[in-house]
Amino acid sequence: MKLTWYTKLLIYGALLLILLFFIGPIAWFLALALRPQSSIFEMPPEFLFRPQLKAFVYTFVNPGVNLPQLRNSLIIGISATLLNLPIAIPAAYALSRYRIRAKKALMLWYLSLLMAPPVVYLIPYFILMTRLHLRGTYFSMVLILQTLTVPFSIWLLKSFIDEVPLEVEEAAQIDGANWYTQLVRVTLPLTLPGIIVTSMFAFVFSWNNVVFPLVLSRQETTTLPLGTLNYFATAGITWNYIAATSVAAMLPPMLIFLALERYVVRGLTFGAVKG
Amino acid sequence: MLTATNRQRLFPYLLILPSIVLLFALIIYPTIFVISNSFYFWNLQTSPVPQQFIGWQNYAMVFRITPFVAALRNTVLIAVIGTFVQFWLGMGIALLLTQQLRGMNVVRALLIMPVTIAPVVTGFLFRYMYYREGGLLTWLLLAVGIPVPDRGLLGVEGLSLASVLLADIWQWTPFFAVILYAGLLSISNEIVEAARVDGARGVTLFRLILFPLVWRTAVIVILIRFMQLFNMFDLVLVLTRGGPGTSSRTLAYNLYQEGLLNYNIGIAAAMTLMIVLLVSLVLNLFIRYGLKDWEW
Repeated sequence: MKLTWYTKLLIYGALLLILLFFIGPIAWFLALALRPQSSIFEMPPEFLFRPQLKAFVYTFVNPGVNLPQLRNSLIIGISATLLNLPIAIPAAYALSRYRIRAKKALMLWYLSLLMAPPVVYLIPYFILMTRLHLRGTYFSMVLILQTLTVPFSIWLLKSFIDEVPLEVEEAAQIDGANWYTQLVRVTLPLTLPGIIVTSMFAFVFSWNNVVFPLVLSRQETTTLPLGTLNYFATAGITWNYIAATSVAAMLPPMLIFLALERYVVRGLTFGAVKG
Repeated sequence: MLTATNRQRLFPYLLILPSIVLLFALIIYPTIFVISNSFYFWNLQTSPVPQQFIGWQNYAMVFRITPFVAALRNTVLIAVIGTFVQFWLGMGIALLLTQQLRGMNVVRALLIMPVTIAPVVTGFLFRYMYYREGGLLTWLLLAVGIPVPDRGLLGVEGLSLASVLLADIWQWTPFFAVILYAGLLSISNEIVEAARVDGARGVTLFRLILFPLVWRTAVIVILIRFMQLFNMFDLVLVLTRGGPGTSSRTLAYNLYQEGLLNYNIGIAAAMTLMIVLLVSLVLNLFIRYGLKDWEW
């Protein structure tokens, strides 16, 4: 159906407003990180000001209060992702390729873990990790994150493996390849894109998780998104620093989502909607 | 399906086993912990170990000393209203996006940005915009003549929950928009054209053709989002800490407050079980009615 020019104009107008609503707050926070401290509580808000990098310098260069948190977030995110792969890949493969008793129940069990409120783990693990003298370690956080990353990766990876045509593996099987050769030589290379996409989403989930580090981290192992909260506790909220830290915390997930544009729908629905 | 010889029949199960063992190991401790401690009096500030067996009293205390009912009410309100609003706003945007105009891909890529942000950061975005002085939203409201209370939008009992919800709506409406858009695109053009030939237009076309066909996708997003809203914690932590009073306290925040701020481990354990029970109930309803014709 051909659209008239004024319908087009109307649609573009509506989309512009929509984008303004959804991108505006992000841009406003970037502006907060760049604005002089004196204009933070101005009413009416100042839209024009001389931008300065002071807040970024303070948080990430000198003295770089939040720089170690950036490192911690990377360590925890990457470890949680790497730990979850060798557990999730074989499970997703088996669930996709073989007839398995109680497959439905198993998939629903994974799903229910994904949907469980993370706060319910907090108190038991707070006490367990304290008793084991593990509270504050990267390990404690990486381990608990597996309750989210493993079920997530199994669901998403299964959807990718489902799409690799079975014939290739059947051919390999007829040729006498054992399961190991089949998996490593045939299936893994074909599902590599899926594995990469899954890893990146698992990383974003771990990166954005605040509940676990909130009770399991100590000052030296706290993460970047949580670093914003620390400014909140100190006397007089330093909004410039909160904003600068937040912008840095937002950036990696945003870039990953931009890079994975094609897979965003699939990732967000654990593979249930192909997109 | 790949076939396995007799000798290999257990092989697929061996591949799944590590995930089951790990996840089971991770949840069995919290499960035993909350069940056993829900029957003990235990305040972590006075003792590092459970203090005294008190039977079912913790379960009664959940209602007597914590605002559990208010938190439940807030949680249900947030989950139901939030899912409803986000679904329909998202559907509206998705329908706009299906008008294949130039630049739609850019719009879609930008639109998803709020979804990528950690909810804690979203909390800060909105906390700043809600400020009485310097807050962008406060200023916009005042500019169009809507009065804003002196204590700000987060500081008033009647508005705090709605303000928390607005931040969530901002963050997750694009989630619905982008996924429903994908669902709408997957509807074959022939069906839509055939309906058009039969005279279906506008609302009729949507109600009779598009909506039923996109429903399968919709169920998934509604399920995911409803559960996430039901578990809402991060936004409350940053925006209001459940206040003023208990006006924006959710079940998850109530649990955190009782267990990790007041250190009443026994009461928190009882509350955990009640919340898990509620969540499983809701999830089972979804699975039974929403996913019933799902292929596995």
